[in-house]
Amino acid sequence: MGLAGFEVEIERSRNGGGVVTEDMTLNMGPQHPSTHGVLRFVVRADGEVMKSAVPDVGYLHRSIEKIAEKVGWHGFIPYTDRVDYVAAMFCNHGWAMAAEKLAGIEVPKRAEYCRVIADELCRLHSHLLSVGSMAMDIGAFTPFTHAIREREYLNDLFEELCGARLTFHYMRIGGVGWDLPPGWAEKVLAFLDRFEAMIDEYNRLISYNKIFVERLANVAVITAAEAIDYNLVGPNLRGSGVRYDVRKDDPYSVYPELDFEVPVGRGEMGTLGDSFDRYIVRMEEMKQSCRIIRQALRQIPKGPVIAKVPRNFKPPAGDCYVRLESARGDMGWYVVSDGTAFPHRCKIRTGSFSGISIIEHVSRDLMIADLVAVIASLDLVAPEIDR
Amino acid sequence: MQELVDSLIASGLLPDTVPAWAHYLAAMLLFGGIVVFGFVLPIAGITTWVERRVMGRMQSRIGPNRVGPAGFLQWLADGIKNLLKEDIVPRAADVPLFKLAPYVVIVGFVATFVVLPFSGDLIIADMNVGILYVTSVTALVVVGILMAGWASNNKWSLLGGIRSAAQIVSYEIPAGLSIFPIVALTGTLSMQGIIRAQGPHPWQWFLFDNPFTLCAFVVFFVSALAEGNRTPFDLPEAESELVAGFATEYSGMRNLLFFMAEWGNLYVIGAIVTTLFLGGWQIPWALDGQPVLRNVLQFGVFFAKAYFFVFLAIWLRWTLPRVRVDQMMTMCWKYLVPIALVNLLGTAVWMLVFPEGVPAVRWLLTLGAGVALLAFFWRVRHHVVAAGYGLKQLSFNPLATRRVEW
Amino acid sequence: MGVGTYFRNIKDAVVTIADGMAVTFSHLVRKPTTIEYPDRLPPGVRVQDTLPFRYRGILEVDLEICTACLACERACPIDCIVIDAQKDKAAGGLVMTRFDIDMAKCMYCGLCSEPCPTGAIHHTPEFEGADYSLESLVRHFVKAPTLAYKPKKAGEDDPAIKPILDRGLRYVAEFAVAGGGDDTSDA
Repeated sequence: MGLAGFEVEIERSRNGGGVVTEDMTLNMGPQHPSTHGVLRFVVRADGEVMKSAVPDVGYLHRSIEKIAEKVGWHGFIPYTDRVDYVAAMFCNHGWAMAAEKLAGIEVPKRAEYCRVIADELCRLHSHLLSVGSMAMDIGAFTPFTHAIREREYLNDLFEELCGARLTFHYMRIGGVGWDLPPGWAEKVLAFLDRFEAMIDEYNRLISYNKIFVERLANVAVITAAEAIDYNLVGPNLRGSGVRYDVRKDDPYSVYPELDFEVPVGRGEMGTLGDSFDRYIVRMEEMKQSCRIIRQALRQIPKGPVIAKVPRNFKPPAGDCYVRLESARGDMGWYVVSDGTAFPHRCKIRTGSFSGISIIEHVSRDLMIADLVAVIASLDLVAPEIDR
Repeated sequence: MQELVDSLIASGLLPDTVPAWAHYLAAMLLFGGIVVFGFVLPIAGITTWVERRVMGRMQSRIGPNRVGPAGFLQWLADGIKNLLKEDIVPRAADVPLFKLAPYVVIVGFVATFVVLPFSGDLIIADMNVGILYVTSVTALVVVGILMAGWASNNKWSLLGGIRSAAQIVSYEIPAGLSIFPIVALTGTLSMQGIIRAQGPHPWQWFLFDNPFTLCAFVVFFVSALAEGNRTPFDLPEAESELVAGFATEYSGMRNLLFFMAEWGNLYVIGAIVTTLFLGGWQIPWALDGQPVLRNVLQFGVFFAKAYFFVFLAIWLRWTLPRVRVDQMMTMCWKYLVPIALVNLLGTAVWMLVFPEGVPAVRWLLTLGAGVALLAFFWRVRHHVVAAGYGLKQLSFNPLATRRVEW
Repeated sequence: MGVGTYFRNIKDAVVTIADGMAVTFSHLVRKPTTIEYPDRLPPGVRVQDTLPFRYRGILEVDLEICTACLACERACPIDCIVIDAQKDKAAGGLVMTRFDIDMAKCMYCGLCSEPCPTGAIHHTPEFEGADYSLESLVRHFVKAPTLAYKPKKAGEDDPAIKPILDRGLRYVAEFAVAGGGDDTSDA
C-alpha cells in the first residue's frame, strides 16, 4: 500500500549515511481537543519527537480593536468581555481605566474595592480553568471537573453580582455597574473557606502526583533571560523565577493598600522555569487571590460605586496607555481619543500573544504529548491572541 | 465441558448414533454462544454504564440517568445508536484492512473467554495450556489495533497504532514474567488447576503466599492495564494528544466493536488476576450434594472478585493522568521487568528454601494488607473532613441524585 | 540514576497515586453538585426562579409604560433594537409603529435597560431562547400602532398601568441606578 493521502514530506536526511528517516508534517488544530479554542500548530515530527511546532494564529480574529472605533466609549465595554472570555473582568477594567485616564475621572474608593474583589474572583475563575485544563491535557479528567465545579460556584457569585456568568459587563467608566448585593460578601467568604480546602485537595489529587510531575517537570524549560527576551508576562514569566507583577511594580487601583505576595517558580520538581513551575505558580496565585479578597471585603468603605460620567462621554483628545495584571499577565491598553464620542484607535496588548510566540522556540525536541502540556502550561487562550 | 457431554451420552439423553465429536462441537457452539451473547457482550455494555456512574460520582456529577431506571439501559441505547450509524470508510483508507481491524480486535478479546473459568464446573475448555493461551490470543488485539492505525491512513491513527504496538509488545514481558511465579508454585498452566491450588481464605491465596507473589500481583495488574490500553497507559487513543488515536476514523458499529473490546477487556483482566492471585471461585464450603448451589456461589464469588478489579481499573482511570510514551517505556523496561525478574528468582529461591510455604508469612502479609486497607479508608475519611463535608453533605447511596447543599 | 532515586521514585509513585485514589474514593460518598436539569428538578422549582435579580436574560418590553424616548435604541452597541415612532396630533402624542428586538443579535449587556426612565425595557430571568429560525428570534412588541406613555406629574392613577409602572420603577431603582450615569448632558 502506498502513502497516498499522507502528505509526508519526503525530506530524506541521511544521518551520517545511516538510518534514513522521513519527517512527518502534522496539522494540529484548529479542530483538536487540546488546542484551547481554535489554535493551529504545524508540527514537523520525526515519529513522536517534534522538530518544530509553528503556531498559526488568526482563526478567532473578530477585529475587536476596530469595533472599538465604531461603538463608542460605553458601548465597547461589553465587547471587551469577549477579548478574553475566560477572564473578562480584567478587560472591562482595562478599558474603564483607559477611559478614566483620558477624561481624568476620579473613581470612588468603594468602586475601586469592588473592582479589586471582582478582578481577584475572576483570577480564580481563570486560573481554575487553566489548571483544570492542564490536568485534562495530561489525561486526568477528574481534576478538571473538580476545578470546573468550583468555577461553577464562582459563576453563581458573579451571576448575583452582575447578572452574567461569563461575559460580565460589570465595570463601567467611572466605577462599577452595581454595588455588592446584600449578603453577597458572606457568600464569598463561605466560598473562599471551602475553596481553600479544595486547593489543598486538588494538590493532593493531581499536583504532586508522580505521573503528573514527571510529565511536567523539566519539560519546556524557559530561563529567566529567555522569558524576558520573548516578552512573557504574568504567571509564565513568574514561573521562570522573575518576580514581576504589575500589581506590585506599577500599582493601580487599591492594590497598594492590600497585603499579598507574588509567588514565583522555585524549580521545585526539576529545573527552574519548567512547565511544572508555571503550573504551580498559578496554584499559589489562587491562594494569594483568596487572601486579597478577604482583605478587600474587610476594608471596603461605604460610598458611591460610580462617578458622575455623562452618557454622551467625550474624553478630551489625547492618548493613554494603561496596564493591569490580568490572569494571563501584563495587559496593556493603548487608546487614542480625538475628542469625539468614538475612540480614534484602540490597541490591546495581551499575555497570550507573547506566550504563543515562544512555543516554536521551546517545542524543539519535545514529544507530541509534551506540546499539549506546553500549550496548557502557558495558559493560552485563543480569543486573547487574535482579538 | 467434555465430561458433561460424555455423561449425557452415557445416560442416553443424547443419541449415540451421532459421532461424539459432533456432540462436542454442538455443545461448544451452544455454550460459546450463550457465553458470548449472554455474558461477554452484556458485561462489556454494563461496564460502560458502571464506569460512567462511578466516574460521575467521582466528579461530583450524577452520570447517565435518562434511559431506564437510573440510566441502566444507557449501554443498550448507545449500542443501538452505534448500530444505526453510518459506517464511514475514508476514501484514502486501505479498505480491506480498515474493515477487518475491529473484528481482529474483538476476536482477540472474545477468544480469551474460552479458558476463563466461571465456576468450578463452568468453563468452556479447561485447557492444560490455559494461561499461556490467554497471553497468546490477547496478542491478536495489538495486530488489530496496528491494522486500524495503519489502514485509517490518518497520521493520528498511525501514531496511535505505533504506540499501541510498542506498548503491548513491551508489557507482555513483565506480564508473562509475573505469571511464571504462580506457574512455578502450582506446576500447571491450567486455569482450574491454578485455582484448585489455592484456598477460599485470603491467607490461602497466592497473593499472600510470599512477598514475591505480592509484588508479582502488582506488576501483573499494572502490565495488564497497559495491555488493555487503560489509563494511565491509554496512549494509543490519548484523547488530548491524538484526538482518538487508532479509532479516529472509525464510526458506527466498527467503533463500537473497539469499545466493546476495551471494556470487556477490563473483565478479562479482573478474571485473570482473580484466577492467578485471588483464589478464583474457591468457597469455604464443599457443598458436594448441591452442584447448582455450589456453582452459583462459586460464580458469585468469582464474579465479585473479578468485578472488583474492573472497579479498580475504572477508579484508576478517573484518578490518574496519562504517562508519556517514553515514560511508559521507562516504566516497563527499567522498573517492571527487573522487578518481575526478581520476583521470579525470589519465588524460585523461596520454593527451594521453604518447599511447604511459610504460614506465618502468609498471615503476616494478609494482616499487613488489612492494615493498609484500614489506613487507606482512614485517609479517605481525612479527605472528606478536610474538604469540609459534614454528614449533611454525604450520601452513601450509590445512585444518589440530590444536590449537595452548602 | 542512583539506587536511592530508583526506590524513591517507586515510593513516590505508590504514595501519591494512593493518596489521589483516596481523594477520588472520598468523592463516591459525597453528594453530587449537579442538578438533573431540566426535567428532574425538585418539585415546584423552576431554574428561572432561582436566578438572582440582576440576571440578564431575554429582554422584555412593557409597551404600556414605554415613552418612546429611544434611549435604549441609542444605547445599544449592536443596534439590535429598532423603534419607529411618529408624532400624531390626533392621537395626542408619539405613536409607536414598531418596537423590534433581535434576540439573535442581542449580547445581553444590559446597556439598554439602564437609561430607560420607566423600566419598560428590562431583562427577564428567561434564558431558554432556542428556536428553529433566525427570524423567529426577532421579538415584535408593537402589534398595532400604540400611543407612547406620558409620565404624569401627579403620579400614575390608572389602575391598569400603575402596577406595571411600579414594577418598572422598582427595576430602575434596583437594577439601573448605579450605572445609570448623568443624563443631563445628553442633549
